[in-house]
Amino acid sequence: MNLPEFLKSRQEVDSDLFLHPMILAYQSVVLAGYRSLIDLPQTVTLLRQLTLNADAADKPLFDLKSGVGIPMNDPGEREVLNAIADGQMLIYSDISDRCMRLVPVSRTLSRSIESPTTENVVRGAISAFNEELDTNIGLIKQSMPTEKLQMQSYALGRDQRRRIVLLYVKGKIHERLLQSISQKIESLPEKDIPDLQALSDLLGFSKWTIITRYNTTEIPQEAASALAAGKVVLLLDRFPFALTLPILLSDMFVSQSDRNVPALLQLSLLVLRVLGVLLSILLPGLYVALVSVNPEVLRIEIALSIAGSRVDVPYPALVETLLLLLVLELTFESAVRLPKTIGPTITMVGGIILGQAVVQAKLVSNVLIIILAASTIANFAVIGVQNTMSIRIYKYLLLILSSMFGLLGLFVGIVVICAYLGHVNTFGIPYLSRWKAGRRYG
Amino acid sequence: MDRSIQVIAMCLITNLGLIFFLYPADIIASLSTGHWSAVLLGFVIHIGMVSVYIKGLSKCAPKNVIDLFQSAGNVFAFLMLLPLAVYFVMMLIITVRAYAEIVTMVFLAQTPLWTIMLLFLALSTLVSLWGIESLFRTSMLIALLFFPFLIIVVILSFQNVDWHYMLPFVDRKTATFSYVFHRPFLQSLFAFVGGFLFLGFIPPYVPYQSRKIIMASLLLLPFFLISVYVPLLTFGENTASKFPFPFIMAVDTVDISWLMFDRITIFFMISLLCFVVLFLSLVMWMTLQLLKRSMHFFNAPIASVLLAATVFIVCLLVPSWSNVEQMIWWNTYLRLYAAFVIPLVTFALGVSRRRKEVIRP
Amino acid sequence: MRKCRLLRMALFPLMFAATMALSGCWDIKDINHRSLPIVMGVKQTGQKYKVLLLIPEVSRSEMNIKIISESGITINAILDEINKSLESKLDLLHLKVIIFERPVAEMGLAQSIESFMRSRDIPNKTFAAISDGTLEPLFDKLGASSQGGGTQLYNFFEKNAGWSPEVVQTRIWEVYRSIDSYTRDVAIPSIKPGRTTTIESTGAAVIKNGRMVGSIDSEESLLYNLFKGIGTQGKIEVMDRATVKIVADRLTLSSTLREDQATINAQLNLKVTVLETVGDPSNVEIKQEIDEQLSSRFDTMLRAAQAKEADILGMGQFFRNKLSREELQHWRSKYYPSMKIKFKVHVIIQDEGQLKIR
Repeated sequence: MNLPEFLKSRQEVDSDLFLHPMILAYQSVVLAGYRSLIDLPQTVTLLRQLTLNADAADKPLFDLKSGVGIPMNDPGEREVLNAIADGQMLIYSDISDRCMRLVPVSRTLSRSIESPTTENVVRGAISAFNEELDTNIGLIKQSMPTEKLQMQSYALGRDQRRRIVLLYVKGKIHERLLQSISQKIESLPEKDIPDLQALSDLLGFSKWTIITRYNTTEIPQEAASALAAGKVVLLLDRFPFALTLPILLSDMFVSQSDRNVPALLQLSLLVLRVLGVLLSILLPGLYVALVSVNPEVLRIEIALSIAGSRVDVPYPALVETLLLLLVLELTFESAVRLPKTIGPTITMVGGIILGQAVVQAKLVSNVLIIILAASTIANFAVIGVQNTMSIRIYKYLLLILSSMFGLLGLFVGIVVICAYLGHVNTFGIPYLSRWKAGRRYG
Repeated sequence: MDRSIQVIAMCLITNLGLIFFLYPADIIASLSTGHWSAVLLGFVIHIGMVSVYIKGLSKCAPKNVIDLFQSAGNVFAFLMLLPLAVYFVMMLIITVRAYAEIVTMVFLAQTPLWTIMLLFLALSTLVSLWGIESLFRTSMLIALLFFPFLIIVVILSFQNVDWHYMLPFVDRKTATFSYVFHRPFLQSLFAFVGGFLFLGFIPPYVPYQSRKIIMASLLLLPFFLISVYVPLLTFGENTASKFPFPFIMAVDTVDISWLMFDRITIFFMISLLCFVVLFLSLVMWMTLQLLKRSMHFFNAPIASVLLAATVFIVCLLVPSWSNVEQMIWWNTYLRLYAAFVIPLVTFALGVSRRRKEVIRP
Repeated sequence: MRKCRLLRMALFPLMFAATMALSGCWDIKDINHRSLPIVMGVKQTGQKYKVLLLIPEVSRSEMNIKIISESGITINAILDEINKSLESKLDLLHLKVIIFERPVAEMGLAQSIESFMRSRDIPNKTFAAISDGTLEPLFDKLGASSQGGGTQLYNFFEKNAGWSPEVVQTRIWEVYRSIDSYTRDVAIPSIKPGRTTTIESTGAAVIKNGRMVGSIDSEESLLYNLFKGIGTQGKIEVMDRATVKIVADRLTLSSTLREDQATINAQLNLKVTVLETVGDPSNVEIKQEIDEQLSSRFDTMLRAAQAKEADILGMGQFFRNKLSREELQHWRSKYYPSMKIKFKVHVIIQDEGQLKIR
């Protein structure tokens, strides 16, 4: 292959590619690479230093021993493109057909290590993962200085290479779990992994599940404690979260940073979160069940006051609840999209103006507003954003069942949810199992 | 891996679901004084049969009942287990129909019966399809969620108790056990038999330790006694015998002024109904297990949907509550078969197998 | 595979639509479309019953009261008639008090109590009461003073609200129990519209096997409550020489049966505080006076009840271990009228208020 010709033609379709001719060790060479990934002036300075050293040691430039780069003998197109796409630089001479690649000084394209954005730590380390895979590995290694920490690295995908690193602690990890995960990953090396859904597809999880089979965390400390507990951590390139497998119900309620407070407080936090989940799931359904099917359960005073607050509401309780829930869900969603500076506006418009007006316009009862507000607040008492989302879904199941069967529907819905939780498992490890490092409780 | 705790939870759940509705009325109808003797007699039979059954199973440890019976010959297994399968199907029909009726009688007067039956059946089919192991995990979670609540209601149910109604303690009918072969007592065995047969089906899927299970069965005794004695002590025998669901009536009299809810019965009943749903899915799973062994061409989802549909249609054909009671009575023979013959044969087979293995190791 | 996925995707909307359609299948009425009567009055005019219902009418800002009456052959027929003419569904699940007019009680309550117990919607812990006069003035009075949405009458009986120890609380299941019981009768509180307050208690009616056979006054109702095990704390006893407040009570009973002669030994331990004295009584004198007052009151009450063969104190319960079931059946006629009771009051003056007694 004629490398100079190939690169020239490539440059026409890829303007980011630079071809920088220069004299290096009395030879005329061309440097090639991506402008956006390589800090050229710095690299040239570095290169000059290296060639001077090589010259002093009397080694030819295009030789492995020169220490400048790794020579490539008659590289193919694919190989060349992969190398530059990875952010490496090519050096080839115009005249002789020699070529080599080297790791240049790259531009800083990542943010520095910051505090987490989706999780908050009250007491504990607050540095968070960022997009740089190696940084992330480093962060984990720092919070877990042990030689038992082992990792396997994969690059998946045909068009885009994406690095995936699988970390585990030897001796703690469940061997069968490790095997089945690495088998799954190795089975389809050609599969592109643009997003997490593709990854979970690769790992063979159902597409329709409500519970994602991995927990995501932004905090190295959490990932390290998962590792220490014998779980597997997956890190993806350009993805500022660690995925821990398998997921357990307890992940929803217990976090590593809880361990920094005394046991009694830990326990009360746990109880609080469990209560939060129960309230958030049950309250809307309970309201509908009590208002439309089983009002005899309420005390007469409460029954009368709810009846009073609903007097002019024109539609059944289910529709009323669904309407207000829709508005609430929209508020969440737009609060995520909005820039931080306009965020408070949503709070004001959604919370105060709409909430007040909707009651005065007799569209919903004010008891319902209280109930849904409580349910929403309770929703976010659990750990992890993905968990709050699954809880939001359960709520609707209970809502519909209790609009049909009242309290019976509500409780039966709880059984359905419990049965679903009992059914979910990750590589044969049930979601409901109690987990201890190295062994498994049913 | 020992899953005894899950099995214990399941044991408690299935039995509790059955105890509080029909059982007290049967026991109160079978005697006018000294009801404790009928409760204890039933309970002793229960414990005896459970231990015989478990003993037989533990002799051939990882096998379940079907394996064990098949090892003695396919025809034998088929003939022995066919009545059991029929019993299970009957039990499904009766339980679904009876409990749907109870629901409409006590708190969902407007809701049509068939929707409630459909709800029960759909749910239990779903849960049974998800497999036995997830069923047991579910039972554990349900037990954790509902038990504290249940215990509170059971304690509160003593609010209106007058202990003098306990007396007289014994009379001739009690002392001579002459009530044993009469209809109400035989019917009351319903509560005992339903809850333990599953122990023979779950190995090797869900392993357990037999001694723990028997110890845990003893925990049920207070509940059996409470279910009969709370209505008796609240209303007196004369009045309690007039109610179809005496315990529910007794809990209904409880008045708690500090709770935001007025009728705590409803929560109590509904948690028991949820237990019944789990019981239904367990029975359904066992029936499918039996079906699968005898007819290999069934695959699980279709077979279970067919089973549920059959049960549903039969339930629709039962016109009234008195027919349900009639069905419970007809089922007595099968129940006695399931309660006595199956455990004893299991024990005999288990012992003989053990002996064979000892002779030629 | 593709087909299966398509099927699954179709299944979800289908299920959703089906549930939506299904839930419209049977009528679920929201709470604001139900009328929730709190008080029901039953009276009899000739062969016909008349039922009055006190229904709170709620709106966002205030609560009003609506009184509806209708007459017919049976109570259920009347309720059905009322339901037809109401704009919302009549829902008796929250019924708190049922008031019978005195003549109805004298004719016999068994039939109506049984139908209340049988019905799915009337809770069996509804209070029963008897109106001394006709029902209409009472309901008018209740309607006129209706700030609480008609819950006053309920609060009058409710222990954590306006109840006081000389008001008898009887729920319909207790009345029902007494109808079939061999050894226990019941007293139902009787009320009338008050002159300044809404309701006034006038004691209680003695009910034997569902029929009213006599009455006891408020003071005797206190003793009834005492035997029923409901505390009498807070009750103020006025005597000739002192006024005391009961702060604690404990009643111990034991029974003996010798040659068909039933005897009860009752020992009442009272703790009182002195509120007021007239003249200069000593502790001993106060104690003695309490003893005499309660004992004589108890004796009159018991004698009256025995004459009617109505065992409202449930004394028969204490002989359940001494008599066989067959004998218990004849408890009221054979043993009870001749039963002797030794009633002793033991008083402890817990304190004498903020002033010393000599």
